[in-house]
Amino acid sequence: MRAPRPYALLAEITYRCPLHCPYCSNPVAASTCETPRRRPQADGYSNGELTTEEWKRVICEAAALGVLQIGFSGGEPLARRDLAELIRAAREAKLYTNLITSGIGLDDDRVRALRDAGLDSIQLSFQSDESTLADEIAGARAHARKLDAAAKIRAVGIPLSLNFVIHRRNIDRLSQMIELAETLGAERVELANVQFYGWAFRNRAALLPTREQVDRARKVATAAKTRLAGKIDIFYVLPDYYETRPKPCLNGWGQRYLTVNPTGDVLPCPTASSAIPDLICENVRERELDWIWRESESFNRFRGTEWMPEPCRSCPQKEIDFGGCRCQAALLTGNAADTDPVCEFSPNRAVVDAALREINSSGNNARDWTYRVNPSGLTI
Amino acid sequence: MRATTISDLIRPSLTKGVRLQIDCATGKSVLLYPEGIVELNETAQEILSRCDGRTLGEIVCELAEEYEADSNALAADVRDTLSDLQRRKLIEFK
Repeated sequence: MRAPRPYALLAEITYRCPLHCPYCSNPVAASTCETPRRRPQADGYSNGELTTEEWKRVICEAAALGVLQIGFSGGEPLARRDLAELIRAAREAKLYTNLITSGIGLDDDRVRALRDAGLDSIQLSFQSDESTLADEIAGARAHARKLDAAAKIRAVGIPLSLNFVIHRRNIDRLSQMIELAETLGAERVELANVQFYGWAFRNRAALLPTREQVDRARKVATAAKTRLAGKIDIFYVLPDYYETRPKPCLNGWGQRYLTVNPTGDVLPCPTASSAIPDLICENVRERELDWIWRESESFNRFRGTEWMPEPCRSCPQKEIDFGGCRCQAALLTGNAADTDPVCEFSPNRAVVDAALREINSSGNNARDWTYRVNPSGLTI
Repeated sequence: MRATTISDLIRPSLTKGVRLQIDCATGKSVLLYPEGIVELNETAQEILSRCDGRTLGEIVCELAEEYEADSNALAADVRDTLSDLQRRKLIEFK
């Protein structure tokens, strides 16, 4: 089918990160996909990461393709010393620039450099509203530094969103997290129930909330939305395992979004390379972005509705939820072309129900999780 | 705020973090904000390009003159558009 124009590029400029959150969506085996291209770079990114000049070319190619927004993410994007330079390049290409960060490494000089480069908005992640739990989740002493980062961001006047990933260990503190967003003067807060990819999939038994918790949290989020209307925008992302219809993932594969990972692989979604092992990832070092977006097998594989099996194919919702998430189908059934098992009509819904049953019958005893580790060979 | 109750003296402006820009792919104006894009129709585009400190009354006068339109009818349209954008936190009234 003919490719639409993309609207947003997620630039995962590094997988390096000082935090170890057990729900990280980065590939668990990030190092394996980097190995073949690992070679020393002139500007010091000896781990195979794209160089400054390569990222600038990607940014220009994305803008030419119709992209209007860029999110700088990771890993921790502040781990790249050229971040401000890349933001400046994105602004020159007229892109709306968003930084998605843990805030670790954001000192006075850097926050001013980001502002001067024209950064439009910062999304600052928090693990919880108070430091003991937050630091335990992050696997690092990070909370106090995040509070400090928020103050610095406010001081230079960059619009601030707070991002919380919600899971079993912090979901009961939703209202306190919203209060923190108010206290810190955020314009926007995103409360996203963890989605199970990457490390989160591995740690699902420790992260999936109970039905009781989910019901309570929904009420808290709804009440806060009403109370703060016109003051703070609150986005509450539902825990999709508890839904009966799948999320409209990416607004359809290869329709609006593309991701470029640290080593230049171009993906329809950041988790696609690890969740769908047989997906052939094209790389910006070998192909132009325009060709990859329009012509590559990876972007065309699930574009439109032709690929759909039943029950999606004859479903009136097929242009609304697009069959759900390809990565989730691959992770839960082994076949990326299956209907998302979250859907009540999926022949594989039983795998989701089994996960829910396990959590809801075992009480609220949190299990241990495995902390995220940096890909081998990468140092902060 | 109900559209009809918006005063002529308010000065609409883009909310912090919202940018008005031409989308090169379509030639149309868009509002860009964190994780969001709104395509503007011609009316909204004409109004927003004037939200630079001018009052609502001034904006209506200018548009009425430029389009040789009845300013009462036009004022209602402008109020509706502005109140919709304000509800979505894309503009604010000062």
